[in-house]
Amino acid sequence: MEDNNVYAHVMKADIETAFKNIPVKIFIYETGEKCMDNLAMQKPQIVILDYHLDNRTPDAANGIKVLDWIKRVRHETNVIMMSHEDNIETALKAFNHGASDNIVKTETQFRKIIYTIFNIIRVMEAKKIALRYKTIAVSSILFIALLIGSVVTMIIYNPSFFQK
Amino acid sequence: MNKSKRPGNNEVYIPAEETVCNFMYLSEIVNDKTHLIIRIMDAFLRQVPGELRLLNEALKLPDYPAIRRNAHTMMSSVSIMGITSLNNVLKEIEKLAKSETEIEKIKMQAKTLDIICKQAIKEIEKEKINYMSM
Repeated sequence: MEDNNVYAHVMKADIETAFKNIPVKIFIYETGEKCMDNLAMQKPQIVILDYHLDNRTPDAANGIKVLDWIKRVRHETNVIMMSHEDNIETALKAFNHGASDNIVKTETQFRKIIYTIFNIIRVMEAKKIALRYKTIAVSSILFIALLIGSVVTMIIYNPSFFQK
Repeated sequence: MNKSKRPGNNEVYIPAEETVCNFMYLSEIVNDKTHLIIRIMDAFLRQVPGELRLLNEALKLPDYPAIRRNAHTMMSSVSIMGITSLNNVLKEIEKLAKSETEIEKIKMQAKTLDIICKQAIKEIEKEKINYMSM
């Protein structure tokens, strides 16, 4: 989400180049309002959000307001906040509202975005693996419980089964 | 001979023979992909004249918040095209507009901005043709 079209296109190109082996779909929105219209349908895993989204359109919602909207509708979406302001207040505000990272727009901004996206993808994959292991562990416990339950039932109701 | 004059407090920077854009940053970011460079140049050529117009309209009023907003937005665009000579100009406009004083100084800086941007547009148009013929 970026109201500067030139900047948005460069960012898109950079992400596509960096993640050419991963099928990524990138949508560009100039305002938070336009993005929110499509958020529930597109279910983005990552949103890169400009802090000053109301720069070009003063009536548009600012980045923090849009961040709140995103977190309310899709809490699992990771939001990377971007700003020209290199101050701790801006960063803290973004983190307090649920941003995954805060990047200052400097010469190395695009490298930082790629690095942050890469880290978020790694965390998402780790969560997916953890969930898989959790499912396997729960299923195994249930199977063992069921087996023990069956054996106990047999001992109670049909003890001769185990006697030779 | 370099006829350009670096801006002082009350001077307008008029680049003469030297180029104002440096496309190295852009081509590095997009990995030299011609179609992406053309797409981004197109976006710049569409966007920046409008930004300049909005800034000049805001200067006439003067609408300080609008001046600050426009200068702020332009920072990202010009940095991508490597127009480093505008970094301080835009920062100065933003700073002066924030304090809502010295409209004449802002106008002076805006004139520099206007001249450099127009030269940059010419350079980008020329470069775009070069890329298109590749």
